[in-house]
Amino acid sequence: MTAVTVTPQRRIGWSVANVVVLLYAFVPIVWIISLSLKGDDTLNDGNYLPLNPTSEAYTQIFSNTDFVRALVNSIGICLIATGIALLLATMAAYAIARLDFPGKQAIVATSLLISMFPQIALVTPLFKIETAIGIFDTWPGLILPYITFALPLGIYTLSAFFREIPWELEKAAQMDGATPYQAFRRVIAPLALPGVFTTAILVFIACWNDFLFAISLTSTNSARTVPAAMSYFTGATTFEKPTAAIAAAAVVITIPIVLFVLFFQRRIVAGLTSGAVKG
Amino acid sequence: MSTVAPPPTDAVDPVDEADEGLAIARKRASEGRRAEQRLGLMLCAPAVLVMLTVAAYPILYAIYLSFFKADLRQPDANEFVGLSNYVTVLSSPIWWTSFGVTMFITVIGAAAELVLGMLLAIVMHRTIVGRGLVRTSALVPYAIVTVVAAFSWRFAWTQGIGWLAGDGAPLTDRWPSIWIIILAEVWKTVPFMALLLMAGLALVPEDLLKAASMDGASAWQRFWKVTVPLIKPSILVALLFRTLDAFRVFDNIFVLTSGSNETSSVSMVAYNNLIRGLNLGIGSTMAVLIFLTTAIIAFLFVKLFGAAAPGGSEKR
Amino acid sequence: MRLRTLTGPGVVAVLVAALGACSGDDGGVPVINIYGSTADAGFEKVLGPCNEAAAGRYVIRPNLIPSDADSQREQFVRRLAAQDDGMDILGMDVTWTAEFAEAGWIRELEGEQAQAATEGVLQPPIDTATWKDKLYGIPRSTNVQLLWYRTSLVPDPPTTWDQVVQRSEELKSEGEPHVIGLTGAQYEGYVVGFNTILSSLGGTLVNEDSTQPTVDDKTVQALEILKSLATDGLASASLSNSQEPEVFAQLQNGEAAFAINWPYVLSAMREADPDVAEDLAWTKLPEFAEGTPAKATLGGMNYAISTYSKHPGLAFEAAMCLRNPESELNGALDAGNVPVLREVFEDPQFQEAYPMYEDILEEMETAVPRPKTPLYQNISTIVSSTLSPPSSIQPEDTAQALEEKIQDAIDGKGILP
Repeated sequence: MTAVTVTPQRRIGWSVANVVVLLYAFVPIVWIISLSLKGDDTLNDGNYLPLNPTSEAYTQIFSNTDFVRALVNSIGICLIATGIALLLATMAAYAIARLDFPGKQAIVATSLLISMFPQIALVTPLFKIETAIGIFDTWPGLILPYITFALPLGIYTLSAFFREIPWELEKAAQMDGATPYQAFRRVIAPLALPGVFTTAILVFIACWNDFLFAISLTSTNSARTVPAAMSYFTGATTFEKPTAAIAAAAVVITIPIVLFVLFFQRRIVAGLTSGAVKG
Repeated sequence: MSTVAPPPTDAVDPVDEADEGLAIARKRASEGRRAEQRLGLMLCAPAVLVMLTVAAYPILYAIYLSFFKADLRQPDANEFVGLSNYVTVLSSPIWWTSFGVTMFITVIGAAAELVLGMLLAIVMHRTIVGRGLVRTSALVPYAIVTVVAAFSWRFAWTQGIGWLAGDGAPLTDRWPSIWIIILAEVWKTVPFMALLLMAGLALVPEDLLKAASMDGASAWQRFWKVTVPLIKPSILVALLFRTLDAFRVFDNIFVLTSGSNETSSVSMVAYNNLIRGLNLGIGSTMAVLIFLTTAIIAFLFVKLFGAAAPGGSEKR
Repeated sequence: MRLRTLTGPGVVAVLVAALGACSGDDGGVPVINIYGSTADAGFEKVLGPCNEAAAGRYVIRPNLIPSDADSQREQFVRRLAAQDDGMDILGMDVTWTAEFAEAGWIRELEGEQAQAATEGVLQPPIDTATWKDKLYGIPRSTNVQLLWYRTSLVPDPPTTWDQVVQRSEELKSEGEPHVIGLTGAQYEGYVVGFNTILSSLGGTLVNEDSTQPTVDDKTVQALEILKSLATDGLASASLSNSQEPEVFAQLQNGEAAFAINWPYVLSAMREADPDVAEDLAWTKLPEFAEGTPAKATLGGMNYAISTYSKHPGLAFEAAMCLRNPESELNGALDAGNVPVLREVFEDPQFQEAYPMYEDILEEMETAVPRPKTPLYQNISTIVSSTLSPPSSIQPEDTAQALEEKIQDAIDGKGILP
């Protein structure tokens, strides 16, 4: 972009800002990592860093077939739910931001209302429905609620972004003979990428971290996701918490998210440049 | 839909009935409008269908249960009690104490998150060194499973075994506990805010900022006069969803204090009645009340931001 | 676009998962699903022989449930209320018997089954599986807390609470570690502690048939003990946020001279800190009323057979195998589950791993269950919140508040905090 304005002072200034951000993010994270590396002997010593780091907890969780299976479930369920939710939300958000049709505000309001209802009160009826139609403890049994509760956020975020897009380009495309759908796919969708990828990250994380549905709508490892599986970890005896194993699992399941974000944040930059071109 | 801007094809004076050419134009316009309406409905249909199929029955059922004396242990013994559950909950000091705590956490938390989220978004958006690293790292707090993060905070603040506690035991006093809860909430969700705001920032045209800069606007002025108005929709969405979530704070309190020392949130109280007490009537009533409160908050936000709301009338 | 390539394999994966979920029972061999305690260390050593013993007539399939009791109960209740026939054996916390029995979710054990389930079993665990004089569970494990202390700080094992307090005060004035560890956080463990003190003084929380609270001067006395512990500087500053792991940590890091905690402390401390373990000793819970042995509150777990099980006879048989002496011994050695069978207490291997077995047995003679009522969770929630934090207790007023709130809970009035 504007390489001309990069002075050493600005570089230092931003570096300081970066360091602050990294400290904010990592001071507590390192504590969690450190808990995952502590053995029984040093767990309660109050040290920020482990004195005798041990990878015992990691060996333990990866030799736990339920955990590995849960990891597979988590990845599959969340990718599918994110994909479908994004597709549906993009379509709806485009219509809401762009088109005039009856019932639009009702749709916007309804989706917001759905996201506002405390989910804890919905679990029991959902459980009943799912057992009745036979999707309890299956992937679709989790994917459907995840899509449902991701849609409101998706629709809102995306329509907010879509409203900021210069639609003159779409009109131009339409004048060139493109149908509204073609205009949407070829012209607007690429411009909307920052919003879409931002939403993808948020929806994926929300799904990845869900505990309530994961624990209530599964009963075996055929669909149980990692946050639920973690709550099944037991200590050596009833009264001991498997602190290190839980911390290790938390660290492990954060890695896919980091990869997911790494992948998508580049696309946010890409969206930015394409935006700057037309700016 | 009066608040929605008319499509450009609508710019026909309806009074002029005489002109035939205009009539044809209007017919075409209305055909175009119908096509647009059809497309709009078709695009929304799948999303609406999924949401209604999955959520409508459970939500209506919970609302229905709130008018009944209902116990999960006796599914066939429901008894209609009118508004009595609402009277019970709304006349309970337990409810109002937790309501106050929840409001406090929501207001302070959301405000802090907005300010810090904006700062973080600016750094993530503008930084000229190590942008990928900063962007990815900044999101890690949001990615960590809430319960585990909460547990690590609890551990860190526990006297004798945590690195933050020192000589005190802050989680055994009401206000220190509440501040720690807010800290845990804010730490965790600032990235959520920042990510949404950053995507908004990405849409602010550089030229506009440059032009403002040449006109002598300071960075501060450019931020308030150019950036903020342009990313208002992003701010609204971020603030709205964060506030709604913050009002339903549960995990952090559940782990950090279990609600002791009057640190319960409304969701904690609802959990205790619904899940521990198995009291579907009272529990559903609380869910409905939480729902209504968040609906009011959302309504206020949408009013406050007016046209910036999705489906609102402002066009660029 | 990326989105479309994501949905393609997605749909396939959904189908595969759905198909996979359909293939449940196969081959005609009945599957006995057990929920609870299956994640215990060494459970496979218990399960393997039992599946062998079944000789192909049934297969026991272990299923996981969350590790904390509240979430376990939540899952059970939700599925049982929906008459789910996918659960056969339920590993139940001892406090759920009345509730599940009253709801009709678990089978009464009668005749030969009842006899087999209780033969050679210590009486207190049988009591926890009994509701209205009927047996609803196969006692599986039991537990009582002990008084743990550091021998370097406490040369003579105290026998009364007053001696504990006195020694702690001496240590405090000498600047030595003096804390008395107790689980004082707002949760079930706090109710256990309070119930122990109250019962030891001769009081109860509710009457025999759980229709009324029984708050009296014993309650006030018990509250006074908690109050002074919290305010005299003898408890940890973290008392009101201490659960078992924190109480354990207070012993480990040299803050506590005493702790009231479960028998697992010994094996866990040997693991965590052998030096402290060397210095650690235990004794029976102190007398709270002088001259009367303390009445420990019973913990533990029982196996119940779900009303909706399609194979109740086989499920019973399977559960009995999981509770036979070998299984009990394995559970004790690997997972710290205190057995309910008398003969296991006589096993030399057990005695070696549980050198405190005599104290456990002695405490068992006077141990009491928590109030037996279908509303136990409500009452427990109220007790722990009313008495929290311990330092806020005003004995007379708190006792009165306790009485009113428990009565409300029994009458189904008001809301839970």
